[in-house]
Amino acid sequence: MASNVKTSIHQQIVTTWLNGDDRGFDDDTDLQGTGILDSFSTLSLVAFIDETFKVQLDPVDINAETFKSVSTISELVETKLGATK
Amino acid sequence: MTRLDEAFSERAKAQPDRLAVDGAGELLTYGQLDALGHRFARALRAAGIAPGDRVGIHLPRSGRGIAAMLGALRVGAVYVPLDPGSPPARMELIAKDCGLRAVFIAPQLLQTWLAAGVYAPVEHFFLMAPEQAPLSPPPGVSVRRWEDLLGESSEPLPPPATQLRDLAYMLYTSGSTGVPKGVMLSHENALAFVEWAADAISLSSSDRVASVAPFHFDLSVFDIWSSLSRGASITIVDEVTVLNGKRMLDLIHEKSINVWYSVPSALILMLETGGLADRGAPSLRVVYFAGEVFPIKHLRRTMQVLPRAKFWNLFGPTETNVCTAYELSSIPGEDDKAIPIGHASCGDEALVLDEQGKAVADGEVGELFIEGPTVMLGYWDSGRRTPAKHPYPTGDMVSRRPDGELMYHGRRDHMVKIHGYRVELGEVEAALNAHEQVQEAIAFAHDQRLVVVIVPRDAALSVLDVKRHAAARLPRYMIPSDIRLVQQLPRTSSGKTDRVRTKAAVIEGNTADLPPVRAAAPAPAQKDS
Repeated sequence: MASNVKTSIHQQIVTTWLNGDDRGFDDDTDLQGTGILDSFSTLSLVAFIDETFKVQLDPVDINAETFKSVSTISELVETKLGATK
Repeated sequence: MTRLDEAFSERAKAQPDRLAVDGAGELLTYGQLDALGHRFARALRAAGIAPGDRVGIHLPRSGRGIAAMLGALRVGAVYVPLDPGSPPARMELIAKDCGLRAVFIAPQLLQTWLAAGVYAPVEHFFLMAPEQAPLSPPPGVSVRRWEDLLGESSEPLPPPATQLRDLAYMLYTSGSTGVPKGVMLSHENALAFVEWAADAISLSSSDRVASVAPFHFDLSVFDIWSSLSRGASITIVDEVTVLNGKRMLDLIHEKSINVWYSVPSALILMLETGGLADRGAPSLRVVYFAGEVFPIKHLRRTMQVLPRAKFWNLFGPTETNVCTAYELSSIPGEDDKAIPIGHASCGDEALVLDEQGKAVADGEVGELFIEGPTVMLGYWDSGRRTPAKHPYPTGDMVSRRPDGELMYHGRRDHMVKIHGYRVELGEVEAALNAHEQVQEAIAFAHDQRLVVVIVPRDAALSVLDVKRHAAARLPRYMIPSDIRLVQQLPRTSSGKTDRVRTKAAVIEGNTADLPPVRAAAPAPAQKDS
């Protein structure tokens, strides 16, 4: 499951905001500093996470730290998944 | 008429104990806001800020930010709201362009500026919150701490000799040549709108007005100055809340907000994700909207769930603030294509002219020209002041209906709106062309997304490279969300880049006109909004 979350968030970002071009992009790429995530793309990613993993993120969970990279987002999602089990 | 700051001071004297601003965990009464404004004015005076000097305001929206505006006006200075979401490089362009001498700044943002080596020509920074971390300003730059600012006396200074026609504030907008330009607005310009917008809805001290728009966006002029000149209270809908439909609606309920002014996107967000249709918002009595076209489907739905509210479509570029307005007397029909932008407001006159400057007949499309009190003084651009043209050509194409109401038909240039934000495609293209591996870049807007098509010099250029480059130069709302790398762009018969065919090829997925650089897996055209 763990790697699943990471892979699917990674894939979603590459497809939606990098037009499928993953060159130079890895799970630790800064999503804020590279302008990949802004307010609207963040909202869209939150909706994707909700749909795919059935995880509802609280507004307080969504900030520049938790949404810094694919790794940090995956960690957040996995924590939430763990908590619901 | 009295200046913006004087209009507030009169209310503060009359109702010192009423709530002025509620936001960012801070409540300020009229009396407290007044006192803070005087302290800030004294701090500016002590720093040698003189009438006409430019003072930046760079912090999340808050009562403190409004007090900083008051402080600047009270020494006759000009306030310049700076986008907290813009990178330091763009802030530096603005600071240099208008020669900012002082900036009221959030400690975190100052750290970012200093880390990026951005400060010139600013001589004085005023911290708008306590800061524990050490600050090491470069020589010649002073930083005054929040606690220290609060030590200033709240006794009023003698009023400045500022006249109504003098500059009060500047709003930087996207510039087509790649450099943001400052729209210069006088007290008189602002007041023509501020008073009209307050009168139109009989704004009074019993009202609670939402502050939704960023301070560098001209919608905020209503939220701040109409409210403060009529004794209403302002509720800050902070930068995180505006992204969350449910939290926005919660706040409306919790604070009994009754006057709302925003781009349609914010209302649509509450409708689609905030539960507006189920919960309603019975406190709302006025909904002003502006900045982008409100799709009829969503407008109808919003009006149906807010039967008590009056809806107004306000229209105008930053250069004229609101220059036309339309009050909706009933819910538009299902088959209506668009609603009018209305007729001239705020004492302005609206002309619809053809290319030769002659008035067009009713029903024909021409450019909207505005004459009247809201027309800006001019641009502050590349360090120079350029007076506004009169009548002012808005660049908006309109037609006049037989009943006198104007209908909107789009722009005549390359300016687009993304979620209500004004974006000059030329500025985006100039930023991208500055990348040494970019040979040619074309930008356009489609479906609320900013799309760029790039011909790289070198196949090594990646989409991520382009994003990173854009993020270091442009505010967030101007970073392209859809980046295409292609081998070549379609040309017109005269050899110019064919913008129309480029856009059509992207929308239709036509790879004959736009051969991709690399055979990447086809990206599904997913929407991010």
